[in-house]
Amino acid sequence: MPPVKPARNWWLWGGAIGFLVAMTWWSAVGIGFSMTELACNITGGGRLLQESWPPDFGFLPRLVDPFMETIYIAIIGTVVGGILAIPIAVLAARNLTLGPLVWFADRNFMNVLRTLPDLFWAMLFATAVGFGPVAGALALSVFTIAVVSKLWSESLEAIDMGLPEAVRSVGGTWLQMVQFGAIPQGLQHYVSYVLYAFELNVRASMVLGLVGAGGIGMILETQRANFEYERVTVIILSVLVAVLVIEQISESIRKKLT
Amino acid sequence: MSPVALQPQRRIGWATWATFIIAALFAWSLIAIEFSPGRMIEVPGQVARVLSFFWPADMAYGWDAVLPAIVESIQIAWVGTIIAAILSLPLALFGARTLFPRIARFVKLISATARAFPEILLAIYFVPIVGLGAFAGALAIGISSVGMLTKLGAEVVESIDFGPVEAVEASGGSRILALRYAVVPQVLPEIVAHWLFRFELNIRASAVLGVVGAGGVGGVLLNTLRYRHFEKAAAVLILTIIVVLIIDMVSGEIRRRIIRS
Amino acid sequence: MSDKKGSIRFSDANIVYPNGAVGMKDLNLEIRPGEFVVVVGSSGAGKSTLLRAVNGLNRLTSGTVEVDGVPVPQKDGRELRELRAGVGMIFQDFRLVKRLSVMSNVLIGRLAHVPGWRAMLNLWPAHDRDVAHKALERVGIGEKTWVKASQLSGGQQQRVGIARALAQEPAIILADEPVASLDPVTTHQIMRDLVRINRDLGITTLVNLHFLDLARQYGQRIIGLRFGELVYDGSAETVTDEDFRNIYGRDFTEDDVLDEDAV
Ligand SMILES: Nc1ncnc2c1ncn2[C@@H]1O[C@H](COP(=O)(O)OP(=O)(O)OP(=O)(O)O)[C@@H](O)[C@H]1O
Ligand SMILES: [Mg+2]
Repeated sequence: MPPVKPARNWWLWGGAIGFLVAMTWWSAVGIGFSMTELACNITGGGRLLQESWPPDFGFLPRLVDPFMETIYIAIIGTVVGGILAIPIAVLAARNLTLGPLVWFADRNFMNVLRTLPDLFWAMLFATAVGFGPVAGALALSVFTIAVVSKLWSESLEAIDMGLPEAVRSVGGTWLQMVQFGAIPQGLQHYVSYVLYAFELNVRASMVLGLVGAGGIGMILETQRANFEYERVTVIILSVLVAVLVIEQISESIRKKLT
Repeated sequence: MSPVALQPQRRIGWATWATFIIAALFAWSLIAIEFSPGRMIEVPGQVARVLSFFWPADMAYGWDAVLPAIVESIQIAWVGTIIAAILSLPLALFGARTLFPRIARFVKLISATARAFPEILLAIYFVPIVGLGAFAGALAIGISSVGMLTKLGAEVVESIDFGPVEAVEASGGSRILALRYAVVPQVLPEIVAHWLFRFELNIRASAVLGVVGAGGVGGVLLNTLRYRHFEKAAAVLILTIIVVLIIDMVSGEIRRRIIRS
Repeated sequence: MSDKKGSIRFSDANIVYPNGAVGMKDLNLEIRPGEFVVVVGSSGAGKSTLLRAVNGLNRLTSGTVEVDGVPVPQKDGRELRELRAGVGMIFQDFRLVKRLSVMSNVLIGRLAHVPGWRAMLNLWPAHDRDVAHKALERVGIGEKTWVKASQLSGGQQQRVGIARALAQEPAIILADEPVASLDPVTTHQIMRDLVRINRDLGITTLVNLHFLDLARQYGQRIIGLRFGELVYDGSAETVTDEDFRNIYGRDFTEDDVLDEDAV
């Protein structure tokens, strides 16, 4: 006689599956999920695709200026955010920070920054400093701080503490320890995270304009509002090309570094 | 000079050049968007002034209008993640180079394309198809998550121990049964952890979809700011931050447990 | 003898790997139902290649290999799966799905015997679960049925591997260095298990070994390979040290035996 199969932990499994089903059901109803609607409107989708094709390539020259603006915004955001992220990351690294209180405050500050998506920041700054690229640059600065400081503080925590401790033991100040003992070890990661943030920023700055923060998103918003879908297609295609090209470039820089 | 002595100097030269180029690009960008020094001095004041209007937060509005919108964002993210999970599981299996060399190339192409679209651009297309509202948002989130989940899932599958796959095939089982008995049990915990992580990201993403009319809390924030109801905007920010932090914490804890099991 | 299953016949069989390595050279070999054959040879001699040709995991470059008079299909598909269903395999590294229970691992041996949809949905007929459990009893770990495979010792894991092969109710068992990852005591237990199963059930058994004393102790018939060629084929009782020297192309050392006193 085979030993009986031990009963599963029904409370755990039943609870988990029940939660999954209930949550999905509740959410689907809440957002008005309906397959019939999807099926009925699929023809509408077909019409939309038809309207979006062929792309209106004649529109391309008018994209150049907004496009450059997008790149400017991304560059400013990456540089400002990248620099400001350095102290924030150092103070959030358990092994380098100045004290438990500083560490705690800094870490929570970092987490709060991270909870808000890029477009939220863009809306906020557009309201504060007016519509335009300055708002976009500020928004991406904050977004970059959030991305880089979080990632880099984690790699700083993993560095070899021998050198920083040596600097400290020969009478170096905290600043000297960080500058000569810690940062050189984390430099490669830092560069690679900043490049990553730049990629994200280019991507993000394509849509910042939707809320009036400059760049190509702004022109996307006006064309969309006017149902000029052939132009929307051109914009989206050019966005895609730009994103892929920039990914390739930063990928090759990253390879050179390692 | 000996090559040993030359080495560090060349590296310093390289770093200096990079710094110089970045500084130049930065300055040029500042000039191009007319971010003059005068303007720069104004900015902190402007930001501080607007932020001062945020206090006190209008929490009554928070409970009445913001919380339902945040709940809708969560629902959008949840349904989007479920859609993406269902679609990406088979794609991840067939996207594993080591199991299906030929199909995998094709699957990887699809997933790379899907990844290149920010969800908000997809939402721009879904809104006219299924109408304004959260459903369009969920579809956009779902489709755009498929790409990343497929990529990460395929990487998990490629990293497994293939011994059991051969064992299943050696006992006469088909490739499909090998997936069912030798691959899925090995990869499922990690893949579910990726689903949860994606859910965390999708919560943030769904919070902005309202900007293009695809439901959620983004539209509420846009409106409060547009009509300069800063105390209400403050309620939106506070509640969003709290909810996102809580979900991150819970989901992160579940992920850790799943991986350890 | 003709109605008993489990015969293998290689005729002029050759295997050359895509990189040019010769795995099998002009092999002519006949194995009768119920035999217990030990295959020896130094590393790279082609032992694994020989075993894996029997169930089609390795494809022949030329010649044929037949199981019970039927040529082993040389391409993937239903016919090959049907042949494999009747041939069990045991691996050096066990190849268990560590996150599944022992029972699930053994049921993998039944996959080819139940309808696909049942296997897909994990709805195993009582008969198949019974076969799986009997296989576990036969290797003496019936009480571990519902334990996770990752929680077993090496020797227990290999027993699960054997049970998985037995669950196929095979006519042939192929064991590719089944004891190479085990300690000496467990090694002898596993070898005795294999011999006992061969004797009790009459399953033709091919075992790759690289310890000479084990080959001599447990083999009935010994096959020696060198550079893919058959260089020895004879009874375990009459094999001499000279024969081993010839198979290995060198004097053998302590590394070639499990128990050092045997040198
Ligand atoms: N997949 C493969 N691709 C290319 N060459 C291979 C492959 N498998 C085996 N070979 C080569 O075929 C020859 C026989 O290998 P095989 O694995 O059968 O030897 P073996 O006797 O089992 O050795 P070991 O005791 O090390 O397991 C060797 O020269 C090996 O390098
Ligand atoms: Mg071998």
